[in-house]
Amino acid sequence: MSAADSITLIDYDAGNLASLEGALDGLGLPYQRAASPDQAAASGPIVLPGVGHFEAAQKSLRERGWWRVLPGLVADGRPLLGICLGLQLLAEGSEESPRASGLGLIPGIVRRLGPGVKVPHMGWSRVHLHHPHPALPDPQGDWLYFVHSYALEPTVDTVYVAEHGRPFAAVEARGNVMGFQPHPEKSGRAGLLLLQSTLAWMGVTAPAPEVPCN
Amino acid sequence: MPAKRVIPCLDVKNGRVVKGVQFKELRDLGHPVDLARRYDAEGADELVFLDIAASLENRGTREAWVRDVAHELSIPFTVGGGVSHVQDARSLLRAGADKVAVNTAAALRPALVRELADAFGRQCVVAAVDVKRDAELGWRVFLKGGTEPTERSAVDWIQELSELGAGEILLTSMDRDGTGDGFDIQLLDQVSQLPIPLIASGGAGREIHFLEALEHGADAVLAATLFHEGILPIPRLKAYLAQNDLSVRI
Repeated sequence: MSAADSITLIDYDAGNLASLEGALDGLGLPYQRAASPDQAAASGPIVLPGVGHFEAAQKSLRERGWWRVLPGLVADGRPLLGICLGLQLLAEGSEESPRASGLGLIPGIVRRLGPGVKVPHMGWSRVHLHHPHPALPDPQGDWLYFVHSYALEPTVDTVYVAEHGRPFAAVEARGNVMGFQPHPEKSGRAGLLLLQSTLAWMGVTAPAPEVPCN
Repeated sequence: MPAKRVIPCLDVKNGRVVKGVQFKELRDLGHPVDLARRYDAEGADELVFLDIAASLENRGTREAWVRDVAHELSIPFTVGGGVSHVQDARSLLRAGADKVAVNTAAALRPALVRELADAFGRQCVVAAVDVKRDAELGWRVFLKGGTEPTERSAVDWIQELSELGAGEILLTSMDRDGTGDGFDIQLLDQVSQLPIPLIASGGAGREIHFLEALEHGADAVLAATLFHEGILPIPRLKAYLAQNDLSVRI
């Protein structure tokens, strides 16, 4: 990585950054919070976390100026990683908020889980390889932690798939855009390794070779 | 189906994890962060912290350790104790807790559960319910750390909590708590009919007790002393559950 590369964490009303920052500290990766685009690092990946309601999150991102600039940053080659609701916001839209559109950086509409299963899907579920991707290994049924009621259906852009009533996209990748439906920062060692591999592929690795979570 | 979960429960007083000995002296087990690290490494699926001496004065202390735990932990955690307003929950969630647990305050003012679910989503709301076997009600709900009986039955109250917006029930059998004789299986059979995830608590003494509880409808099992004292290490318990064909994260 170049010395200037730092991870930019989008800081807005729909994300709790405490756990994510803890995970990045544990991995020894440099990051900074950015409430608005002018606070973003000059280069390096941008992480869009998210918990809560699709439309409320979209509104908050608009107010902070992120919604307008994210497509341009991605077009310029900047890596973008969405987590949980952050992934769903990358899609074209969501059944949760039919009136609000998504960023459209990943094709597809986010649909409600069920019927016939408990929603929200909350807890540890296994993920399996759907389409190989250079950033990530075959998870071989690793357990990751999920908390969500909506999900994308698996497509050619789906790297990992999970199941809750029906198969859904757990990890998406399209060009320099990636998204995780589970919370890697809440998924034990498997989640930390997933985060580490993805951010390494996006150009950020720890300055020291040691990985504390090993 | 998500994996069945194994959850150590930690009682916290003034920012330290403690263990009660015969309800009198409290033994200091360490800082919440140190125990959080240990259980994360051992493969716990989630942690529950109960602040047993929650008061207005120690809110700052609590937010500080919750923030520290959130930073260190790579699994989800719940914090309970003295949560009686949306604002209490907000400060805990902002500090990094994934869920808040409510008990007495919800029984005294059930609308609290709905307010929490509306503000943060039901996945953030754990309702703790303490019950005792009762000739009249089947299982009677108790408040204030099990000292105050109510006129509610376990099944009716849990049904109501589910409708109000609780995301999960942490159900403690006071009859079994501390006995090591096993969970109250008849209680679990009754309550697991309700459409809400259930954490069984109270009575675990051996591996087979956890298996029984999970086979009788519990989605998760919770214990304290067994794990704290190292009597039953979590890796051994999970290996046992996996050998018995339960879906657990290993």
